[in-house]
Amino acid sequence: MSFFELGSAKKSDLKEYYDVTIIGGGPGGITAGIYAVQAGLNPIIVEKALDGGQMNNTQSVENWTGFTSIRGMELSERMADHARAFDVPFTYAEVVDVETNGLEKAVVLDNGKKIKSRVIIVATGSNLRKLGVKGEEEFKGRGISYCATCDGHFFSDKHIAVIGGGNSALDESLCLSKMVSKITVIQNLPKLTADKLLQRKLNDTGKVEYIYNSVVDSVEGDSQVRKVNIRNVDSGEITSLPVDGIFVFIGLIPNSQFLKGKVELNEFGYVKTNDFMETSKKAVYAIGDVREKEVRQIVTAAADGAIAVYHAARNYFND
Amino acid sequence: MAKLLPENITKQVKEIFSNMEGSVKALLFKSEKNCDYCSTAEQMLQELSELEAKISYEVHELDSEMADKYSVELAPSIVLLTPEGEDKGVRFLGIPAGHEFGSLLQDIVSFSKGAIPELSEESIKKIEKINSPVDIKVFVTTTCPYCPKAVLTAHNIAMVNKNVMAYMVEANEFQDLSKKYGVSSVPQIVINDKVTFVGAYPEGQFVDQVMKAV
Ligand SMILES: Cc1cc2nc3c(=O)[nH]c(=O)nc-3n(C[C@H](O)[C@H](O)[C@H](O)COP(=O)(O)OP(=O)(O)OC[C@H]3O[C@@H](n4cnc5c(N)ncnc54)[C@H](O)[C@@H]3O)c2cc1C
Repeated sequence: MSFFELGSAKKSDLKEYYDVTIIGGGPGGITAGIYAVQAGLNPIIVEKALDGGQMNNTQSVENWTGFTSIRGMELSERMADHARAFDVPFTYAEVVDVETNGLEKAVVLDNGKKIKSRVIIVATGSNLRKLGVKGEEEFKGRGISYCATCDGHFFSDKHIAVIGGGNSALDESLCLSKMVSKITVIQNLPKLTADKLLQRKLNDTGKVEYIYNSVVDSVEGDSQVRKVNIRNVDSGEITSLPVDGIFVFIGLIPNSQFLKGKVELNEFGYVKTNDFMETSKKAVYAIGDVREKEVRQIVTAAADGAIAVYHAARNYFND
Repeated sequence: MAKLLPENITKQVKEIFSNMEGSVKALLFKSEKNCDYCSTAEQMLQELSELEAKISYEVHELDSEMADKYSVELAPSIVLLTPEGEDKGVRFLGIPAGHEFGSLLQDIVSFSKGAIPELSEESIKKIEKINSPVDIKVFVTTTCPYCPKAVLTAHNIAMVNKNVMAYMVEANEFQDLSKKYGVSSVPQIVINDKVTFVGAYPEGQFVDQVMKAV
């Protein structure tokens, strides 16, 4: 047995009111929690899955200052431990609704509980985008997957397709290459968009081939996925590739569904904020990947958290 | 024998167990044959019981009256009992290691307090009405970060109603079972062999799926 994760067992008892409710325990939310305590506020972090958010899906992070290379899971744990050492409480549930009107705000959890606060910071990050093609819903859980570390084991010594050619697709491919026999990466553009270093690492596994300028047209199979039909974006020609599984990493969508009608979102669902991370509603902030911005990285999510808390502390707790 | 749980983990586990109220007994069912993980499961329970006096465990054979009594058919299986010795239908098939270790710890603390379900009133009302047997299998891998949420929701549902049995099933250890249900993504939830879904649904939606299978 290789590892033991305490996960949501590290939850704190829930009180009725906090100064700041932080929704999401990724790098943005955790950093906001630390800054809040340092500003003399009582924060709580509400996380639906795992401390560290998307960092847990990252093989190695090589651009978080101070670490030349650190496993995403380890960085997650270190950040959460840092926050716990400063007595930042965590609770584990999914936020399904927010009440943003009035001076006192509230978030509603899927277990029926409600947390009241003066300030809400949304740090819910983003989630993988679906393909949106024929066969995807049908074969979800029967060969189509969106999580390499979760499901890679089911495809040992098998041939799989990875859809996408960006950093996350190649990072996940690297993880899968330890289990599967062959990976065909299908990319819609004429080249990969992932970092060169990552490309080199993946090529070194000797298990990967690439199909460019191509998108998934449909997925076919019986009880399991058997083939993926690929359309060339230039010629429109469709070819079939027999595979045992398909892993999809074609970009992200923001986790902002529960904010519809509450704060202003852009056309893609990202939350609009000002320079201080405040949304269209006063005392409601958005930080990290869920926010409309240029660079979605760990360091920018953390920075957003610091900026939001500074502003909140100065404007809403200054008496 | 080398310890299974590293020191940095045991320190945190102790802290979590400091929230326990009554004593919790774990029943471990094992078998001599075809059970690669039985001894590891036993070692894990032993180390946990050494960390906290309120935790004890008993080992039973798969082929025993106790196994029949608790309708256990596969090894390793872990059944938790409340301080009153009550079985709440909460089961672990395979070792709850990796991310599932946290699920086991939370269940233990919750059992020490009488296994009071941490669910919304609305969900509890729905589940209380169930009057026929319900069997929830949550297929997981120990490397799946989204799985504990599904396992804990299923276990809490079982705590509400005697008719509900909720199993965490470690998919790699029970490959025949995984094959039978065509598991290739986790968490995969199978209810009464009738309703199947993939993913860590929020509580309300999870309960709705259970009600569909009744
Ligand atoms: C494969 C991959 C590799 C990457 N590699 C790098 C890298 O090398 N370097 C780098 O800087 N960045 C990398 N990134 C990007 C980086 O992970 C993100 O920019 C960063 O994690 C964003 O942080 P966040 O706090 O905004 O959100 P997230 O990390 O997405 O965390 C959000 C958290 O909120 C929780 N949540 C969502 N909705 C709810 C809800 N309703 N209720 C409660 N909780 C909720 C989620 O479970 C999650 O834990 C990578 C991303 C991926 C996918």
